[in-house]
Amino acid sequence: MSDAPVVALRGIVKVYSTGPLELEVLHGIDLTIERGEYVAIMGPSGSGKSTLMNLIGCLDRPTRGEYLLDGIDVSGLDDNALAEIRLHKLGFVFQGFNLLGRADALSNVALPLFYAGMAPGQRKARATAVLAELGLADRAGHKPSQLSGGQQQRVAIARALVNDPALLLADEPTGNLDSATSEELLQVFRNLNAVGRTVVMVTHDESVASHARRIVRLRDGYIVADAPR
Amino acid sequence: MMYASEALRVLLANKVRSLLTVTGLIIGVGAVVAILVLGKSMGGAVNAALGGVADNSFVIFPNTTQRNTTMASIRLSDLAAIKASVPGIVDAQPLGFHSDLVRSGHQQARYGISPDGPIPFNTTPIEYGRRFTAADVATAARVCVISNAVYLRLFPNGGDPTGENLYAGARRYVIGGVLQPPHHGFINASFGSDISIPWTTYVQTYVRGSTVFAGRFIAANPAEIPSLELAVMNALRARHGQARGQQYQTFDKAQITQGINGIFNAMTMVVALIGAVSLVVAGIGVMNIMLVSVAERTREIGVRKAIGARASQILAQFFVESLLLCGSGCAIGLAVGLAIGQAVNQFAIVRLTGSITPIPWLSAVVVATGFAIVAALAFGTYPAYRASRLDPIEALRYE
Repeated sequence: MSDAPVVALRGIVKVYSTGPLELEVLHGIDLTIERGEYVAIMGPSGSGKSTLMNLIGCLDRPTRGEYLLDGIDVSGLDDNALAEIRLHKLGFVFQGFNLLGRADALSNVALPLFYAGMAPGQRKARATAVLAELGLADRAGHKPSQLSGGQQQRVAIARALVNDPALLLADEPTGNLDSATSEELLQVFRNLNAVGRTVVMVTHDESVASHARRIVRLRDGYIVADAPR
Repeated sequence: MMYASEALRVLLANKVRSLLTVTGLIIGVGAVVAILVLGKSMGGAVNAALGGVADNSFVIFPNTTQRNTTMASIRLSDLAAIKASVPGIVDAQPLGFHSDLVRSGHQQARYGISPDGPIPFNTTPIEYGRRFTAADVATAARVCVISNAVYLRLFPNGGDPTGENLYAGARRYVIGGVLQPPHHGFINASFGSDISIPWTTYVQTYVRGSTVFAGRFIAANPAEIPSLELAVMNALRARHGQARGQQYQTFDKAQITQGINGIFNAMTMVVALIGAVSLVVAGIGVMNIMLVSVAERTREIGVRKAIGARASQILAQFFVESLLLCGSGCAIGLAVGLAIGQAVNQFAIVRLTGSITPIPWLSAVVVATGFAIVAALAFGTYPAYRASRLDPIEALRYE
């Protein structure tokens, strides 16, 4: 691991062009997230937070500006290189869990390891270990439909962590959970952060964001506030 | 392999859909494989029917529809002359058939008697004793070789009958050899005669006058038979006065086999065409269902890409799925085709002709595998490519 910040955005501009129309969604974002931080990105819909999350998550490329992820300049990488970065540097947790319904928890968690080219035996061992870390050792053989929402999201977190990413990126992770389960899940994120994981969470929910240690607020494509909580 | 097990899970999750999708492949491959099996066994049956006929021999006889058949008739002197003058002809013998009441001990039945020589016309292997020798022919020995059917009829108690006497009418022959049984079936597949005797003996005993029914010629090289047939017919015309334009007909094993094989080949071509058409139709079905599958799983593809799958890995996943779909369809088609082919084979061909031909496993498997690979490549590549090109953000947003 390098000493570079996990996320370093410099003058990031994102323009969507549909035909003759050009829509600038981000107007020069500067943002640095150091290792071990727990950041919530907040903003109303249309503020550009989803676009920002897609850029941070290397699902999209900025129109202008520079993005260093864990010290690597990813602003100009091609699709395959970005896939490689997502595989090894990023872990995604989605609002809708997005587990593969046909596969059991273990297979879901092991999927990124398969894409990374790990041998089947090692995949299983590693996935089992990560599931156990999240308290799901006894649920390894269960299909997502046999798990509760909270358990499903923990499986998703295990899948995000299995390649030991530099950054855990969560998009409204509690959006589909009731408040009690949300609390449990946010505790999971806090615990992960406590042992050194860098976590970035996108949410529109103040009470969820309040679990983070730093809140970045977006409005109309600008960062309007960035403060520790 | 992970792609295969995942693909299998997907296909099994949609059993009915998968099965319907591959129905076209099952029918196409099934039809082609069944025809392959039947074509092979029909070819085998023809070969078995002609099996006894020596492939180094050909027969020439006068065309019976010409005005002056007597002028065209083959004479014994023609045979000797042609043997001496046409290069490549090893031997020339008369061909004929004489029916008589045949008796040995207390058993008797009516059988046909034909001429033969040391190079046998009926090549069915020997069970007991021997074939004719050159000396038998030279001395016009009164010896005979009997077919297995004759042996079973005249010697119901079995045992080696060589050296026993056999009476045809009033004439006595010593049994020199017994042939092995030919393939059994409703159609008597044994060519040639029940009882053969040296051709010189036949001429001496049964030929009245100097003309014979037909000539049998033995070629040094079976490959030259077509040209030798022409040479012999020309020699006959020359000896009988070419101006009269005597017509002759030929018969050889290759001629018949080729004729029948030609029919089979035409049939195979037609079925191959049907197979190709059904392959295209089935392939379009596969492509359609794969495009549906890609659309249905857009979100899944987005997730896979988000967690780091490369485009090539998504492509591989969907291509393997197409391959498995086509492969299982073709495997079922192979089984169906073999079953139908073998059923028809057993109930028709084997029963009618007694000919048992081994299943053409290799070509059947090659056809089925080829179908599967071609269908998957031609019709599975585009849906897989489309899946691999999906934009992960769009895909993740897909409901």
